[in-house]
Amino acid sequence: MSESIGSAGRRIRLPWSDVVVTLFAFILAFLLGAVLMVVSDPEIAPKWSYFFSRPSDALGASWDKVSQAYSALVGGALGGIGPITSTLARSAPLICAGLGIGLAFRAGLFNIGAQGQAVVGAMISALVGFSIKGLPLAVHLPLAVLAGVAAGAAWGGIAGALKARAGAHEVITTIMLNYIALGMLGWALTTTLFQRPGRADPISPIVEWSATFPRIEGTQLHMGFVLALLAAFGVWWLMERTKLGFQIRAVGSNPSASATAGMSVSTITATTMAISGGLAGLAGVQVALGAISGATPTPLTAGLVGSIGFDAITVALLGRSRPLGTVLAGLLFGAMNTGGLKMQSAAQTPPDLIMVLQALIVLFVGAPMLVRTLVPFLKARRAGKAPTTQAVAPVASQGGLAS
Amino acid sequence: MKKSLLALSALFSAAALTLAGCAEAPDAAAPSTQQSTAASSAPSGSATSAAETSAAAEFKACMVSDSGGFDDKSFNQTSHDGLEKAAQDLGIQVAEVESKDAKDFATNIQSMIAEKCNIIITVGFLLSDATVAAAKANPDVKFAIVDDNPASAKGLTNLKPLVFNTAESSFMAGYVAASQSKSGKVGTFGGMKIPTVTIFMDGYAQGVAYYNQQKGKNVQVLGWDAKKQDGQFVPEPKPFENIAGGKSTATNLVSQGADVLFPVAGPAGLGALQVADTSNGAVKAVWVDTDGCISAEKSCKSILTSVQKAMDVAVFDAIKAAQDGSFSSDPYVGTLENGGTTIAPFHEFDGAVSAETKSELEKIKADIIAGTIKIESASQPK
Amino acid sequence: MSTTTTAPIGSAADPAPQGLSLRGITKRFGTLTANDHIDLDIVPGRIHCLLGENGAGKSTLMNILYGLLDADEGTISIDGVEQHFRNPRQSMAAGIGMVHQHFMLVDVFTVAENIILGREQATGGLLNMRQARQKVLELSNRYRLRVQPDSRIEHLPVGVQQRVEILKALANDAKYLIFDEPTAVLTPQEIDELMTVMRSLRDEGRAIVFITHKLREVLAIADDITVIRRGKVVGQADASASEGDLAEMMVGRSVNLQVDKSPAEAGEPTLVVENLTVADASGQVVVDDVSLDVRAGEILCVAGVQGNGQTELAEVLLGLRPVLKGRVELQGRDLTKLGTRETIAAGVGFVPEDRQHDGYVSTFTVAENLVLNQVGGFTRRGNLRWDQIKANARAKVDEFDIRTQGIDLPLSSLSGGNAQKVVLARELSRPLKLLVASQPTRGVDVGAIEFLHKRIIEERDRGTAVLIVSTELDEIEALADRIAVMNRGHVVGIVPAGTPRDVLGLMMAGIPYDEAVVAAEEGAGDE
Repeated sequence: MSESIGSAGRRIRLPWSDVVVTLFAFILAFLLGAVLMVVSDPEIAPKWSYFFSRPSDALGASWDKVSQAYSALVGGALGGIGPITSTLARSAPLICAGLGIGLAFRAGLFNIGAQGQAVVGAMISALVGFSIKGLPLAVHLPLAVLAGVAAGAAWGGIAGALKARAGAHEVITTIMLNYIALGMLGWALTTTLFQRPGRADPISPIVEWSATFPRIEGTQLHMGFVLALLAAFGVWWLMERTKLGFQIRAVGSNPSASATAGMSVSTITATTMAISGGLAGLAGVQVALGAISGATPTPLTAGLVGSIGFDAITVALLGRSRPLGTVLAGLLFGAMNTGGLKMQSAAQTPPDLIMVLQALIVLFVGAPMLVRTLVPFLKARRAGKAPTTQAVAPVASQGGLAS
Repeated sequence: MKKSLLALSALFSAAALTLAGCAEAPDAAAPSTQQSTAASSAPSGSATSAAETSAAAEFKACMVSDSGGFDDKSFNQTSHDGLEKAAQDLGIQVAEVESKDAKDFATNIQSMIAEKCNIIITVGFLLSDATVAAAKANPDVKFAIVDDNPASAKGLTNLKPLVFNTAESSFMAGYVAASQSKSGKVGTFGGMKIPTVTIFMDGYAQGVAYYNQQKGKNVQVLGWDAKKQDGQFVPEPKPFENIAGGKSTATNLVSQGADVLFPVAGPAGLGALQVADTSNGAVKAVWVDTDGCISAEKSCKSILTSVQKAMDVAVFDAIKAAQDGSFSSDPYVGTLENGGTTIAPFHEFDGAVSAETKSELEKIKADIIAGTIKIESASQPK
Repeated sequence: MSTTTTAPIGSAADPAPQGLSLRGITKRFGTLTANDHIDLDIVPGRIHCLLGENGAGKSTLMNILYGLLDADEGTISIDGVEQHFRNPRQSMAAGIGMVHQHFMLVDVFTVAENIILGREQATGGLLNMRQARQKVLELSNRYRLRVQPDSRIEHLPVGVQQRVEILKALANDAKYLIFDEPTAVLTPQEIDELMTVMRSLRDEGRAIVFITHKLREVLAIADDITVIRRGKVVGQADASASEGDLAEMMVGRSVNLQVDKSPAEAGEPTLVVENLTVADASGQVVVDDVSLDVRAGEILCVAGVQGNGQTELAEVLLGLRPVLKGRVELQGRDLTKLGTRETIAAGVGFVPEDRQHDGYVSTFTVAENLVLNQVGGFTRRGNLRWDQIKANARAKVDEFDIRTQGIDLPLSSLSGGNAQKVVLARELSRPLKLLVASQPTRGVDVGAIEFLHKRIIEERDRGTAVLIVSTELDEIEALADRIAVMNRGHVVGIVPAGTPRDVLGLMMAGIPYDEAVVAAEEGAGDE
């Protein structure tokens, strides 16, 4: 029955309905966020208790609270050169790691190990950054960047090789390698190689200026963001324009047909994991060598990478594993983080509520069917297209059962 | 995660309130009692004159936490109390940002500079690199850092270190802990091997040793070896927030026989309180930074005493000085003598601590202030 | 769905019809009209064949009937009462059962579990499996559909899995049974068994709809025949029609069912296989001491019932499986230890048996699939040359008459026959010494079969050695110059083209040629 489905032009048509659904996902998340903000505020919530005798109190206070918070969010993320550069700077590591995870997804691999790969990348680039002294920027910075990327690639490559050679599932190996990377960093920071002289706590020396990304004075933006964009372009080129990308996509969609076509599935798997790890390593490099204006790069500590490798999984999923999508999703996350800071500092919104709001947006963007169900107008639009979606479903399930 | 659950439960309780939205409206003329929190910038009915108010309202004091957050029942929270007090008593504007992890420190300080803060207080030793860098880059903004006196800040006139010689009060805590131990073993563990943590452990161990010397006893300290400067710490990552890690570390010490625990680990220390709470009185704890009977009220039955750091006072004084123009970069050092560090009342253990021990503690305090008892710790502020 | 008419079907002039009737069913997907005012009457006690090429709209029609799709226009009525099926549950309740082409079974469940799936009867939350098992036994005895209720589906051969599908429909007491391309996955023996079952179901008073594109089967079993082309009913016929007439109706032009083929001008042996032994993943020997050769310019067909080692033989020739013992030589060059890439480079073309699984990447575009195993020839310094890839695709689409709405569409949008044309076009687009094709026309419509056979013969005439693995005797008859019959991993014998079907059938059962000839003559004499 697959032959009877008019799928002609499905790829060509602009995904307007997707755009509209995404828009509504934001609206819904913000509405729900507003409700949470109002009810969790100890000053406003009581006003609702006498809503019927004097509604203006509750409404006015709620409106003030919500509008203040959201204008802080938007203003903090996009209002002016400072916020915009800050958004860009924060998105850079998420974009890099998201690209790596998305690349692996397209080869049919679940790289849960971006965190570990970023940790190793940060560790090695920082090591090169603080232990070598006296090099000019033009030599030192590329050296540190490449060292970090190579370390991430090696870390990802281990999981790839284990999968290719021993058939070990990459989800398990990458999770374990995350622990190993973190433990290794914690231990390394107690050795003389990494630990700052004169300090008893696990912290490294500050990275030399010659290994720090050049930055725009007065802003938080540094060259790492340019690298992230280059990486996105590079991944696009790799996937769409090169033989290796062709093979990665083929192996990702149908490994047995790829093997029949003479491709070495194991080699391509291992290579993909290494590239994916390299991109995640670049995310680690970003945090290790990136200094905002008026600050030194944050010295290496156990918590330096934060949760970038895990947030990037969401970024890659939101970006549908495509380079452009990942860049947009990364920018969204960067904007949420930066705007969230302003919500805290200017609108006194608790940071946990900001996390909830971020999660809500991701939830709604990631669940278009939920948005369509919640918004009747979109549901009506969908009804006209129902047969197509229904027709596709049985084909997919048949494929699953028959194989 | 737990916090978002709190937000959810707030949602439901507020929804219940809203459903019962037929309550009487309060008298509009009555001043709202809830208006005067830190969030509001307007002073509420204070005695300040109108002119003062407008000058004060233009002054802005800001604070950046470390990864523990302002609700850590420990040093972030205490410092934050100082900020809130400043907002109320001085009628100034305030702003605050919590840090999630190390990479946030610099950007969070930067966001406060963007908010045009007059003084920025960074809480915690871990922020020292970022604070020094920001102070250098922004000479017009005043900074104060809680818990560190960075060597790299030499010559900076706009950065005031706020440090505490908690070894002194920990010494007293060690003495009373030793006196209360039935097993002859007391324990301690830290959040991270940094001077602001190990200083407590040094003082505690020496207090126990002093007790042994005075009483001819042999109470042992588990979890800290002052000579090697090494001991028990909560596992990485984010050891200060790792309550489960704190609990397992405490359990480990208890299984080795310790019956008085001294967790120097911020919120992770709550894990030790949990162990003590469930021990049916067999295990007691000494809390740090704040009076545990107030900040961790529920565990008061297990808290023998607390080693307090008056960070709120130090923070308040620094903000006040910055506002009235008397700010200097000279470090503030909290001691027993100036009340910057003390041990808290015994609360529920008041009866358990003998009058003799209490008078001995008074003597020790006087001796430390007088310098007749010398405490040795590399971590002490100079 | 009932936008055009709400009047009852039976009018005064038209006696109230018994059975299932479709009137004016129309279904559009965008600009494509998959069903265009189709009328169909399905009567109890008769087997109604729905004949049409892949893409003609048969499956769409049946999915409407089964409640999987909504018709844009038209009505469905049963015994004169109009029906509205919004989902399969409703159509099942009305007595319609479907035996899907791709079985809707849960692999890890047992037969009994699958049969009660969706209608689980539980007492106190516990499934009543004893009752389910009894039901399976009762049904399988009644219809002589032998299955073990406790076997797991994944362990059963395809033919038995199909029996489970049928039992599932019967367990629901379906009056109208739709068989969607049921023979596509079956061996000749299994097809015979299926036909027996279908006849007995008909004789019991059930209505059977048999969807297929295989003319021989239609003529063997049909009571009524409806031919559909491009979404429209183009003709009705009964079992007295000739294959040629039906084929012409189906395709819309006269079809050459037996491709013209000159006798082979065989040259030197190109492929020599000596004492080849191959084991499967579990260590079971599946190809056992096989020796054969294929000469340049000849077609050797490997005949046999599915699962007798032919598939593995074909795969080992492409280097997809390790060789346990023996040799494979291509024009004197030892291929035994070569990997797949090297084997392809050595000049071996391969059409895999399961094209969806091994032959193409369904999410890739037509253009991409046409270079899948030779993308290296379309690159410069590792970069793909899209202009060349697309030019290649346009040329192949023309040359092989691949029906697609664009070379940039995913291959999943193509019909089975056109997808197979893509695979064959790709393999034939480089100079070959040997072409190995497994089941080259399985699930392919008549028009495309003709074309594919023609191209394979052309390749032979170019001097390429061709090895075809097929379970369909029609195909073997059409293509073979010589036939190697396999049974349980052995080659039973290699016989010339033109060997009678009954002899081949007996050899497939493992009986050597000499004995098979005698047995076949005796069998003929008995009649």
